[in-house]
Amino acid sequence: MKDITVLFFATLRDRANTGSFVMEIPAQTTVANLRDILEEKFLSFNELAKHSLVAVDREYVFDEFEIPSGAEVALFPAVSGG
Amino acid sequence: MTTFSTITLITEDELDLNDLVKQIVSSADGAVAMFTGLVRGVTRRDAPHETDYLEYEAYQPMAEAMMKQVADEIRAQWNTIEGIAIVQRIGRLYPCTPTVFIACASPHRDTDVFEAARYGIDRLKQIVPVWKKEIGPGGKEWVEGDYRPTALETKPHLIKA
Repeated sequence: MKDITVLFFATLRDRANTGSFVMEIPAQTTVANLRDILEEKFLSFNELAKHSLVAVDREYVFDEFEIPSGAEVALFPAVSGG
Repeated sequence: MTTFSTITLITEDELDLNDLVKQIVSSADGAVAMFTGLVRGVTRRDAPHETDYLEYEAYQPMAEAMMKQVADEIRAQWNTIEGIAIVQRIGRLYPCTPTVFIACASPHRDTDVFEAARYGIDRLKQIVPVWKKEIGPGGKEWVEGDYRPTALETKPHLIKA
Protein backbone atom coordinates (compact mmCIF):
# COMPACT_ATOMS: atom_id res chain seq x y z
CA MET A 1 0.00 0.00 0.00
CA LYS A 2 1.10 3.60 -0.51
CA ASP A 3 -0.17 7.03 0.46
CA ILE A 4 -1.23 9.61 -2.11
CA THR A 5 -2.83 13.05 -1.86
CA VAL A 6 -5.98 13.46 -3.94
CA LEU A 7 -7.20 16.90 -5.09
CA PHE A 8 -10.61 17.61 -6.63
CA PHE A 9 -11.57 20.77 -8.50
CA ALA A 10 -14.78 22.36 -9.81
CA THR A 11 -17.68 19.90 -10.21
CA LEU A 12 -15.79 17.05 -8.56
CA ARG A 13 -15.03 19.08 -5.44
CA ASP A 14 -18.66 20.20 -5.15
CA ARG A 15 -19.99 16.66 -5.55
CA ALA A 16 -17.47 15.11 -3.15
CA ASN A 17 -17.78 17.92 -0.60
CA THR A 18 -14.01 17.89 -0.25
CA GLY A 19 -11.12 19.31 -2.24
CA SER A 20 -8.19 17.47 -0.75
CA PHE A 21 -7.45 14.34 1.29
CA VAL A 22 -4.83 11.65 1.78
CA MET A 23 -5.64 8.04 0.96
CA GLU A 24 -3.96 4.66 0.71
CA ILE A 25 -3.89 2.81 -2.57
CA PRO A 26 -2.52 -0.66 -3.40
CA ALA A 27 0.92 -0.90 -5.00
CA GLN A 28 0.74 -0.78 -8.81
CA THR A 29 -2.50 1.21 -8.89
CA THR A 30 -2.93 2.85 -12.28
CA VAL A 31 -4.92 5.98 -13.10
CA ALA A 32 -7.71 3.75 -14.48
CA ASN A 33 -7.76 1.74 -11.20
CA LEU A 34 -7.91 4.95 -9.16
CA ARG A 35 -10.90 6.19 -11.17
CA ASP A 36 -12.78 3.00 -10.13
CA ILE A 37 -11.70 3.30 -6.49
CA LEU A 38 -12.94 6.92 -6.35
CA GLU A 39 -16.24 6.10 -8.06
CA GLU A 40 -16.87 3.57 -5.26
CA LYS A 41 -15.75 5.93 -2.53
CA PHE A 42 -17.85 8.86 -3.80
CA LEU A 43 -21.13 7.47 -5.12
CA SER A 44 -22.30 11.03 -5.85
CA PHE A 45 -19.73 11.17 -8.69
CA ASN A 46 -21.91 9.06 -10.91
CA GLU A 47 -19.04 8.56 -13.43
CA LEU A 48 -17.47 12.02 -13.00
CA ALA A 49 -14.15 10.48 -11.93
CA LYS A 50 -14.30 8.07 -14.87
CA HIS A 51 -14.40 10.93 -17.37
CA SER A 52 -12.28 13.54 -15.57
CA LEU A 53 -8.84 14.74 -16.57
CA VAL A 54 -6.08 13.50 -14.27
CA ALA A 55 -2.76 15.09 -13.32
CA VAL A 56 -0.02 13.49 -11.25
CA ASP A 57 2.44 15.88 -9.66
CA ARG A 58 1.03 18.68 -11.85
CA GLU A 59 1.37 16.98 -15.23
CA TYR A 60 -1.38 15.37 -17.29
CA VAL A 61 -1.33 11.55 -17.16
CA PHE A 62 -3.41 8.83 -18.80
CA ASP A 63 -5.12 5.60 -17.84
CA GLU A 64 -2.15 3.20 -17.95
CA PHE A 65 0.05 5.44 -15.82
CA GLU A 66 1.04 3.83 -12.50
CA ILE A 67 0.69 6.24 -9.58
CA PRO A 68 3.90 6.64 -7.58
CA SER A 69 4.00 6.67 -3.77
CA GLY A 70 3.51 10.14 -2.31
CA ALA A 71 2.01 11.49 -5.54
CA GLU A 72 -0.30 14.52 -5.69
CA VAL A 73 -3.15 13.30 -7.89
CA ALA A 74 -5.63 15.87 -9.17
CA LEU A 75 -8.95 15.07 -10.87
CA PHE A 76 -10.91 17.77 -12.67
CA PRO A 77 -13.26 18.48 -15.59
CA ALA A 78 -12.07 19.78 -18.96
CA VAL A 79 -10.72 23.26 -18.25
CA SER A 80 -12.72 26.45 -18.81
CA GLY A 81 -10.41 29.35 -18.05
CA GLY A 82 -9.89 32.49 -20.03
CA MET B 1 22.15 35.14 -25.58
CA THR B 2 19.45 37.48 -24.35
CA THR B 3 16.78 36.03 -22.15
CA PHE B 4 13.36 37.58 -22.54
CA SER B 5 10.87 38.27 -19.76
CA THR B 6 8.15 35.72 -19.18
CA ILE B 7 5.28 36.34 -16.79
CA THR B 8 3.02 33.38 -16.00
CA LEU B 9 0.65 34.13 -13.18
CA ILE B 10 -2.61 33.27 -11.45
CA THR B 11 -3.79 36.21 -9.36
CA GLU B 12 -6.78 37.43 -7.41
CA ASP B 13 -5.74 41.04 -8.01
CA GLU B 14 -7.06 43.40 -10.64
CA LEU B 15 -5.09 43.07 -13.89
CA ASP B 16 -2.95 46.14 -14.52
CA LEU B 17 -2.52 45.82 -18.29
CA ASN B 18 -0.11 48.76 -18.64
CA ASP B 19 2.11 47.46 -15.89
CA LEU B 20 2.18 43.94 -17.35
CA VAL B 21 3.25 45.31 -20.73
CA LYS B 22 5.94 47.39 -19.07
CA GLN B 23 7.28 44.26 -17.40
CA ILE B 24 7.80 42.25 -20.61
CA VAL B 25 9.21 44.79 -23.06
CA SER B 26 12.79 45.82 -23.76
CA SER B 27 14.25 48.71 -25.74
CA ALA B 28 14.55 46.45 -28.83
CA ASP B 29 10.77 45.93 -28.99
CA GLY B 30 8.50 47.94 -31.27
CA ALA B 31 5.30 45.90 -31.09
CA VAL B 32 3.16 44.15 -28.51
CA ALA B 33 0.03 42.17 -29.43
CA MET B 34 -2.36 41.91 -26.50
CA PHE B 35 -5.51 39.97 -25.86
CA THR B 36 -7.75 40.39 -22.87
CA GLY B 37 -10.91 38.42 -22.14
CA LEU B 38 -13.86 39.90 -20.26
CA VAL B 39 -16.79 38.58 -18.28
CA ARG B 40 -19.68 38.83 -20.75
CA GLY B 41 -22.89 39.89 -19.03
CA VAL B 42 -25.17 39.34 -22.02
CA THR B 43 -24.57 36.41 -24.37
CA ARG B 44 -26.38 36.67 -27.69
CA ARG B 45 -24.68 33.91 -29.68
CA ASP B 46 -25.43 30.16 -29.42
CA ALA B 47 -27.46 29.78 -26.22
CA PRO B 48 -28.44 33.37 -25.35
CA HIS B 49 -28.42 34.09 -21.61
CA GLU B 50 -27.40 36.61 -18.98
CA THR B 51 -24.57 36.34 -16.47
CA ASP B 52 -24.45 38.10 -13.08
CA TYR B 53 -20.86 37.09 -12.35
CA LEU B 54 -18.30 34.30 -12.73
CA GLU B 55 -16.40 32.50 -9.97
CA TYR B 56 -12.99 31.37 -11.19
CA GLU B 57 -10.82 28.80 -9.50
CA ALA B 58 -7.43 27.38 -10.45
CA TYR B 59 -5.10 24.54 -9.59
CA GLN B 60 -2.53 27.25 -9.16
CA PRO B 61 0.87 25.47 -9.24
CA MET B 62 -0.12 23.33 -12.22
CA ALA B 63 -1.81 26.27 -13.96
CA GLU B 64 1.37 28.34 -13.74
CA ALA B 65 3.45 25.37 -14.97
CA MET B 66 1.10 24.91 -17.95
CA MET B 67 1.28 28.65 -18.71
CA LYS B 68 5.07 28.27 -18.89
CA GLN B 69 4.53 25.39 -21.31
CA VAL B 70 2.31 27.64 -23.46
CA ALA B 71 5.03 30.33 -23.46
CA ASP B 72 7.61 27.70 -24.48
CA GLU B 73 5.33 26.50 -27.29
CA ILE B 74 4.95 30.10 -28.55
CA ARG B 75 8.70 30.63 -28.62
CA ALA B 76 9.25 27.24 -30.31
CA GLN B 77 6.91 28.30 -33.15
CA TRP B 78 7.86 31.96 -33.53
CA ASN B 79 11.47 32.83 -32.79
CA THR B 80 10.66 36.52 -33.29
CA ILE B 81 8.67 36.65 -30.05
CA GLU B 82 10.52 38.21 -27.14
CA GLY B 83 8.67 38.99 -23.87
CA ILE B 84 5.50 37.03 -23.07
CA ALA B 85 2.84 37.60 -20.39
CA ILE B 86 0.14 35.02 -19.62
CA VAL B 87 -2.03 36.01 -16.66
CA GLN B 88 -5.35 34.67 -15.40
CA ARG B 89 -7.34 36.44 -12.72
CA ILE B 90 -9.43 34.22 -10.40
CA GLY B 91 -12.13 34.80 -7.78
CA ARG B 92 -15.51 36.49 -8.28
CA LEU B 93 -15.52 38.62 -11.43
CA TYR B 94 -18.32 40.80 -12.78
CA PRO B 95 -19.26 41.77 -16.38
CA CYS B 96 -16.81 44.06 -18.22
CA THR B 97 -13.93 42.97 -16.00
CA PRO B 98 -10.73 41.70 -17.70
CA THR B 99 -10.20 38.09 -16.58
CA VAL B 100 -7.24 37.01 -18.66
CA PHE B 101 -4.35 38.73 -20.40
CA ILE B 102 -1.95 37.48 -23.06
CA ALA B 103 0.76 39.72 -24.48
CA CYS B 104 3.58 38.94 -26.91
CA ALA B 105 6.33 41.45 -27.63
CA SER B 106 8.51 41.63 -30.71
CA PRO B 107 10.78 44.13 -32.52
CA HIS B 108 8.20 44.64 -35.33
CA ARG B 109 4.47 44.16 -35.86
CA ASP B 110 4.92 42.02 -38.99
CA THR B 111 6.61 39.19 -37.12
CA ASP B 112 3.55 37.07 -36.26
CA VAL B 113 2.90 38.77 -32.89
CA PHE B 114 -0.86 38.63 -33.54
CA GLU B 115 -0.75 34.93 -34.33
CA ALA B 116 1.40 34.26 -31.27
CA ALA B 117 -1.02 36.02 -28.90
CA ARG B 118 -3.96 34.22 -30.53
CA TYR B 119 -2.20 30.89 -30.04
CA GLY B 120 -1.54 31.82 -26.40
CA ILE B 121 -5.19 32.40 -25.50
CA ASP B 122 -6.39 29.38 -27.48
CA ARG B 123 -3.86 27.12 -25.81
CA LEU B 124 -4.58 28.51 -22.33
CA LYS B 125 -8.21 27.55 -22.84
CA GLN B 126 -7.11 24.00 -23.70
CA ILE B 127 -4.55 23.00 -21.10
CA VAL B 128 -4.33 25.49 -18.20
CA PRO B 129 -6.32 24.11 -15.22
CA VAL B 130 -8.72 26.95 -14.46
CA TRP B 131 -12.51 26.62 -14.20
CA LYS B 132 -15.36 29.08 -13.97
CA LYS B 133 -18.76 28.78 -12.38
CA GLU B 134 -21.39 30.92 -14.01
CA ILE B 135 -23.96 32.62 -11.78
CA GLY B 136 -27.03 34.12 -13.45
CA PRO B 137 -30.81 34.45 -13.21
CA GLY B 138 -31.09 30.73 -14.01
CA GLY B 139 -28.84 29.55 -11.16
CA LYS B 140 -25.23 28.41 -10.80
CA GLU B 141 -23.39 26.13 -13.16
CA TRP B 142 -19.80 25.04 -13.74
CA VAL B 143 -18.69 25.78 -17.27
CA GLU B 144 -16.95 22.78 -18.75
CA GLY B 145 -14.45 22.98 -21.59
CA ASP B 146 -14.37 20.52 -24.47
CA TYR B 147 -10.66 19.83 -24.89
CA ARG B 148 -8.88 16.74 -23.59
CA PRO B 149 -5.06 16.82 -23.61
CA THR B 150 -3.59 13.80 -25.35
CA ALA B 151 -0.59 11.66 -24.53
CA LEU B 152 1.13 13.08 -27.62
CA GLU B 153 1.40 16.55 -26.15
CA THR B 154 2.68 15.51 -22.76
CA LYS B 155 6.00 14.08 -21.67
CA PRO B 156 6.66 10.52 -22.89
CA HIS B 157 7.73 9.23 -19.46
CA LEU B 158 4.28 10.04 -18.08
CA ILE B 159 2.33 7.89 -20.50
CA LYS B 160 3.41 4.70 -18.79
CA ALA B 161 5.35 4.34 -15.54
